[in-house]
Amino acid sequence: MEIVDKLKILADSAKYDASCSSSGSNRGNTKGGIGNGDVSGICHSWGADGRCISLLKILMSNCCVYDCKYCINRCTNTVPRATFTPREIADLTIQFYKRNYIEGLFLSSAVIKNPDYTMEKLYETILILRKEYKFNGYIHVKTIPGCSQELIDKLGTLVDRTSINIELPSEASLKLLAPEKEKAGILSPMNYIAKNISISKQEKSIHKPKFVPAGQTTQLMVGATPETDLKIMKLSESLYTKLKLKRVYYSAYVSINEDSLLPALKEPPLLRENRLYQADWLLRFYNFTMDELLDETHPNFNPLLDPKCDWALRHLEQFPVEINRADYHTLLRVPGIGVTSAKRIITARRAFNLKFDDLKKLRVVLKRARYFITCNGKYFDQIQHFSETFISENLLFLERLSSENQNSFEQISLFTNFNKDLNNPHSLLPTKEDKVKALTGSL
Amino acid sequence: MQNLVYIYDGSFEGLLTIVFDVYIENVFPQVIVSEEKYIPNILDTTKIIETNFEKSKRIFNGIVKNISYDALYHSYYAFLSNDENKEINIVQYLVYGFHAGPKINTMLSVNFVANVHYMRKKMLHEAHRLKGLLRFQEVNKNLFYASIHPDNNVIETVGHHFIRRLPTQNFIIHDKNRNILFLYNTKDYCIVPAENFNIPQITDEEKKYQKLWKSFFETIAIKERKNSKLQMQFMPKKYWQDLVEKNV
Ligand code: SF4
Repeated sequence: MEIVDKLKILADSAKYDASCSSSGSNRGNTKGGIGNGDVSGICHSWGADGRCISLLKILMSNCCVYDCKYCINRCTNTVPRATFTPREIADLTIQFYKRNYIEGLFLSSAVIKNPDYTMEKLYETILILRKEYKFNGYIHVKTIPGCSQELIDKLGTLVDRTSINIELPSEASLKLLAPEKEKAGILSPMNYIAKNISISKQEKSIHKPKFVPAGQTTQLMVGATPETDLKIMKLSESLYTKLKLKRVYYSAYVSINEDSLLPALKEPPLLRENRLYQADWLLRFYNFTMDELLDETHPNFNPLLDPKCDWALRHLEQFPVEINRADYHTLLRVPGIGVTSAKRIITARRAFNLKFDDLKKLRVVLKRARYFITCNGKYFDQIQHFSETFISENLLFLERLSSENQNSFEQISLFTNFNKDLNNPHSLLPTKEDKVKALTGSL
Repeated sequence: MQNLVYIYDGSFEGLLTIVFDVYIENVFPQVIVSEEKYIPNILDTTKIIETNFEKSKRIFNGIVKNISYDALYHSYYAFLSNDENKEINIVQYLVYGFHAGPKINTMLSVNFVANVHYMRKKMLHEAHRLKGLLRFQEVNKNLFYASIHPDNNVIETVGHHFIRRLPTQNFIIHDKNRNILFLYNTKDYCIVPAENFNIPQITDEEKKYQKLWKSFFETIAIKERKNSKLQMQFMPKKYWQDLVEKNV
């Protein structure tokens, strides 16, 4: 089979993985080597679906022995199958890298024969890249659940990032739709990796190679199974706090296989996916907890308002916020004020007291924020009322206005929301991720 | 009212020379413009500023000593932006900076400070974008060529990025909007005007990888999520002409 045909099959199989981020690596180049990391990540292109392309994202093989119901490559499907050799992948990576198509490699694989065999092959590939070609660009490799810890250890010191996709947000769903994986255990290798990362972080010696320095991530599928937003986000929250995950990705389920156990969705639930990304953002950078955002009586996000606006409207007692006095975390809770704006406000008000005009100069967007703030005790322009109905009507009006300019609500609410990079976390994060890091010191 | 216009040679040293004169004479022009961009107007009182390396060096050192390193970077990066009013804003920013000291960079509600910060951001933003969107083509064994059409003058920033990243690769980056070249031969680099420069032919090997990249690019998008608007928002059309994956 020609390389180009393999590439088509194995990129096609990898495309449902949302992660393509190349951030978190500050690996320098080595003598005679090729490549380096860029801490904030670099996007190299954007596909027809608007998702950023940063890494050569492929499977090593799609010849799977497992039968996960939602997956195109399940062993009971008849689809074209292909397998790359380690050398083919290494060469392709280097040649793409030299032409600046990519930041590096994101290598995953179906389970060939068994987990250990598959991991051995992945390891062989990465060894060629790092040792023989002295490649110092970004490498993200999937960990295959059920493989030996020894292989995890060996691979962990060569790669920048690793991930295991949980996909199904509850044990019941896992059992039903991915029985082999459930048996192999997903959380225990994640635990093991998390432990190793934290040990490696404390290691003082600079000669010892770091273990998965850019951290581990995972992905949760949205809409294939009955879990509520609350259930999904609670899982994310504990992954962040307990396992110190770098990112949780959400992927709107695309119906590929017909199976009585799966819903037949006409379209992937993109709006819901977007709400989850927005909420995820609030957890990671805005100091929100899930209990503030949803509860058993409201287990799902409001389709009409983003989670922060929705929260603010339910907590008007905490507003208005005085721009010249509120601390950083309080500012961040104002709808429409993000990390950059909050930081600018704090800096600028040290020099001078701020008025609404000054906020415009700081390029703080007042479209939503104006309902929630005062400058020196004064409301914005004609705003006199500070009531829930007044504000919510205005905010909903804003949402509607922007959606009328578009064909469908679904599309617009996806991408013009309060933070345009929410949906494509890898893309704009570059500079932002940096700033956030400086502020919270948490990354 | 006549406009006082300072005309300079378009170099950073030239601009620092103006900062020196303005600081000493305490006279602010209304407009500062490079000779290349100046369109004569009878209402203008013009003054031609000769670049003076002694003066510019004193200002350069003075910025580091009396304002901050940050201020130097802010003004240099703002200078590389394509903003029409960059010169006057940078001069106000620096002259005022000599009075205010390092705290100048916190005065974000002052117009020229906000503007300089914004210009710097704009320039760096485009440079960052091109670190991703630039495409090298192999034109000879281990010689790579890339053309770009940036709004801002990003070639130096982008060139340095690739020296760090691909130090063993000879390359040429061609800014076609300014017609300048960034040349690197695995040891040294220089930036020169692209006079009598013929764009080289690509190799057969190169064609093979371009084809592979295009296949990958087309395959990796999820059809059910097609969203051309979003694609365009992140990757504006003006950059497509230099992208392998967007051209036949
Ligand atoms: S393990 Fe499951 S999800 Fe992975 S390729 Fe095989 S069938 Fe698909």
